[in-house]
Amino acid sequence: MIQPNLTADLCLKCNICTAACPVAAATDLFPGPKAVGPQAERYRHPRLPLPDASVMWCSACGVCSRVCPHDVKVAEINTQAKARLVEERGAPLRDRLISNTELIGRLGTPLAPIANLSLRTRPVRWIMEKTIGIHREAPMPAYAGSTFRARMRRYCVEKPPEQNDASRVTVAFFHGCSTNYYEHELGRITIAVLEKLGCRVILPPQTCCGLAMQSNSLFEDARRQAQQNVALLLPFAEAGIPIVGTSTSCLLTMKYDYQATLGLSGREVELVAAQTFDVFEFITTRLRETLDGLTFEPLASRAIYHASCKLRSHDVGVPTLPVLRRIPQLEVTLSEAECCGGAGTYGMKREKYDVARQVGSPLFEQAREWGADFVISESETCRWWIAKHTRLPALHPIGVLYRAMK
Amino acid sequence: MTSLLVVGAGLTGLFAAVLAARRGASVTVVARGRGNLELSHGCIDVWKADPPLAQTINHLPDTHPYALAGFEALEAALAAFCQITTEADYPFTAGPEDSLLLPTALGTIHVTAYAPLSLAQGHMADKTPFVLAGLSGFRDFYPALAASSLKRAGLPVEGTVELPVPGAPLRRDGYATDLAYLFDRPASRQQIARVWKPLLAGAKRVGLPAVLGLRQSSAVFLEMQERLGLPLFEIPTLPPSVPGLRLERILRRTALNAGVQIVEGVPAVGQAGEGSRVRGVVVESAGRSRFHEAGAVLLATGDVLGGGLETTPDGRVRETVFDLPVLHDGDRARWINPALLDEQPFERFGLRVDRHMRPLGMDGTTVYDNLYAAGSLLAGADRINEGSRQGIALVTAFCAVEAVLG
Repeated sequence: MIQPNLTADLCLKCNICTAACPVAAATDLFPGPKAVGPQAERYRHPRLPLPDASVMWCSACGVCSRVCPHDVKVAEINTQAKARLVEERGAPLRDRLISNTELIGRLGTPLAPIANLSLRTRPVRWIMEKTIGIHREAPMPAYAGSTFRARMRRYCVEKPPEQNDASRVTVAFFHGCSTNYYEHELGRITIAVLEKLGCRVILPPQTCCGLAMQSNSLFEDARRQAQQNVALLLPFAEAGIPIVGTSTSCLLTMKYDYQATLGLSGREVELVAAQTFDVFEFITTRLRETLDGLTFEPLASRAIYHASCKLRSHDVGVPTLPVLRRIPQLEVTLSEAECCGGAGTYGMKREKYDVARQVGSPLFEQAREWGADFVISESETCRWWIAKHTRLPALHPIGVLYRAMK
Repeated sequence: MTSLLVVGAGLTGLFAAVLAARRGASVTVVARGRGNLELSHGCIDVWKADPPLAQTINHLPDTHPYALAGFEALEAALAAFCQITTEADYPFTAGPEDSLLLPTALGTIHVTAYAPLSLAQGHMADKTPFVLAGLSGFRDFYPALAASSLKRAGLPVEGTVELPVPGAPLRRDGYATDLAYLFDRPASRQQIARVWKPLLAGAKRVGLPAVLGLRQSSAVFLEMQERLGLPLFEIPTLPPSVPGLRLERILRRTALNAGVQIVEGVPAVGQAGEGSRVRGVVVESAGRSRFHEAGAVLLATGDVLGGGLETTPDGRVRETVFDLPVLHDGDRARWINPALLDEQPFERFGLRVDRHMRPLGMDGTTVYDNLYAAGSLLAGADRINEGSRQGIALVTAFCAVEAVLG
C-alpha cells in the first residue's frame, strides 16, 4: 500500500514541483507544494495540532506528484494534510454542501426550471456568496430535469449480463453525477461512440465517486462513498467488464485515490481500480484496431486542447491528442497551462475564485490570442470553468470525435 | 506500437524525442518526473579543458562518449539543438573564440560553449565595466559576494546595486520563478523598468539574476534592455533555475507539438524479449501496470541523481531499468577522492556503449540489438572537470537516434 507521508524523505528539495505548481505561480499565499508538503511534513506531529494552514491553498491538481523525479507523493501528502486540518478545525457548511454532488443532483432535478433560473439570478447568487461563500461568478451547470439513468433505462442493468457475446466487448459506462444530472447529451454521445466502435454498453448501478468530498477534505464521507461505489461496481469488475467513463477525475479517484489518498485497501478496491478506464485510454488501447480503421469527416475549426490535470495523472500520456489530430481540417493546438484553475469545487469558493482564475489565465489568454473556435477538455468542472472564462464552447473530446464520426 | 520509446525527460531524452519525431518516428517518452534540466544553468557545456576538443578528441580513450560519437556528429547535434531553440525564439549563441566565460552567482567563471543570448552577453572577455544588481527580497543572489570574487579575478566590476521589484511577492520567500512570472507580464515590465532606470543611471552594463521571464524570454530580455537603455546580462541562480526551465519547456513543447507522447510521473521497468531484443518497458500507472511496446528503447535516465543508476552499500552500482552491466569500481572506498574539487572516480561510472550507443556487456559485445543509452548514464567521462555534460547529452542522443532510424 502507498503511504504518501513516508515518501517525504525522498525529497531533495529540488523545487521542480514548485516551478510546475500553477497555484504557487498565481498567488504568494501558497508557499508551494514542496514547502507545504514534504518540507512541512516534519512539523506534523501525529498527536499535536498542525501548526500551519497554508496547505489549504493547494487545489489538488496533482502536477507536483507527476513532475517529481524522486517519487515523492507530494499531492497525496498535501491532500492528507488538508484532511487532518479539517478534522481538527472543522469544515464550513459550504464545503459539506458542495461536495455532496449526489444530494445536490437529486434535490435540484425535480425543481430544475426553478433551480436553473435561480442559479442564473444575480441577487440569488449574491446571497449565496454572502451567506455560504459560493462565489457569485462561479459557473454552475444547468439541471437536465431528469436523470440520465431514467432516460436510458433500457441500458441499465442490476448485475453483469450472463451470456457473453464474444464478438462484442461489453463496457460498463460510469456516467458519474455530472452526466446523470446535467449533461445527458455527453452520455448519449459516449454510448453512441462506443457502440459504433462495436461495444455493447450497459449502465451498471453506481454512485458518486466521492472525489468532491475528498477534495473538500471530508475523508470520512469520501470513504463511505468510495466503499459504496466499489460494492456496486465489484460484480462487473469481477466479471472482467471494463468500467469506462468520460468524467476523468472520477475515474482517477476510483483507480488511484481510493487507495493512495483515502487509504482503502483490499481485493475489492484493487479489482475495481484495475478495471477502470478513461474513455480515450480505453478506445486507444482496447479498441485500437477499430479506431485506426475509421475515417473521419472534416471539422473545419480551430481548437485548443487542454488535457485536464486529472487525465494527466492517469499516467497514460495524452491518448486523446493523436486521435483528435486525425480529424481533417481540425487544427488543434495544445494548452500552455498546467491547470485551468477550476479544480473541481476549488474555483467555486469565494476566497479561492480569483486565485483559480489567475491559475487558468495563461489558457484563457492563449485561447483569445489563437482565435480558438472552441476548447477541448475532459473533466466537466474544467469545461464549465473554461467556458465561463473564455466565453467559448468547451467540449469533451468524445463529443468532437462523435461529430467527426458522423 | 511506438517506434522509439525514450526513458527519461531531461536534456538527453527530450532532445532525442524531438529529433526522432521530426524524422517521422512515433515516439513515446516515459519519465519518472521532469528531468534535471530544471536544476541546470541552461547553457550547453561542451569542453572546457585545454587543449580544445577538436585537437583532443582523437586522443581520448575509446570509452569516452565523444570518442565514440566523433567530432562530426557533435557538430551536427549542436547545430540541430541550436535550430530547435532558434525556432522557439530562444536563440543560443557561441562565444567568439568558441568558449563563453560566464559569471556565476558565486562569482566564479563558468566556461561554456553555447548560451542563450541573455546569458551570453555576460561573456567576461568583454571588458565593458559592469554593475551587479540584486533584487530586493530575493535571497538566491547576493551581488556583493559575486562582485568581490569577480573583482579579485581582475574583472571590471563597478559595484553593486539593489533594485526593488514592484509587485514581487512579500508574503513568503520568493523563488526565481516568482520573479520570472512577473516579467512575463507586459505591464509589470513597464512598471519595473520605470523604477529601475534612475537607479541604474551611469551604469554601462548590468548583470542581474536570471529571472527575466519564462515564456518569451528573448523578447522580454530585449525589451528590458531597450527600456533601460543599456546592455544587460543574466546570471543563473539556484533551482528552480529559470534558464534551465526555459529550455525544458521549449524542448517539452517542441516534442509535444511534433507528436511525442510524454508520460510523466512513472518509473519504468524494462522488458527483455526473445533472443537479443528488448520488447519495451512496463510502467506502474494509476490502477494498473501498463506495457509500452517499442521497436527500440533509448535509456536517457541519467546518473545517480537522475535515477538511472543506483548504488548499494556493498559497493555495487545498478542500472535501474534493464539492470545492465555498469562500469564501476567494486570497492566503495575508492569511489570518492577526498580532494573535493579534483576528479572524482565515480564520475566515470556508467554504461559502456558502442558507436551506435548500444550498451555493452562486460565481454564487450552489445547486450541487446535494439536498446540504446545516452547522456549522463554513459561511462567514461569526467563531465565536471571536462565541462562536457550537455555536449555529451546532445551528441549521444543524436547518435542513438541516427542508429535507430538509420
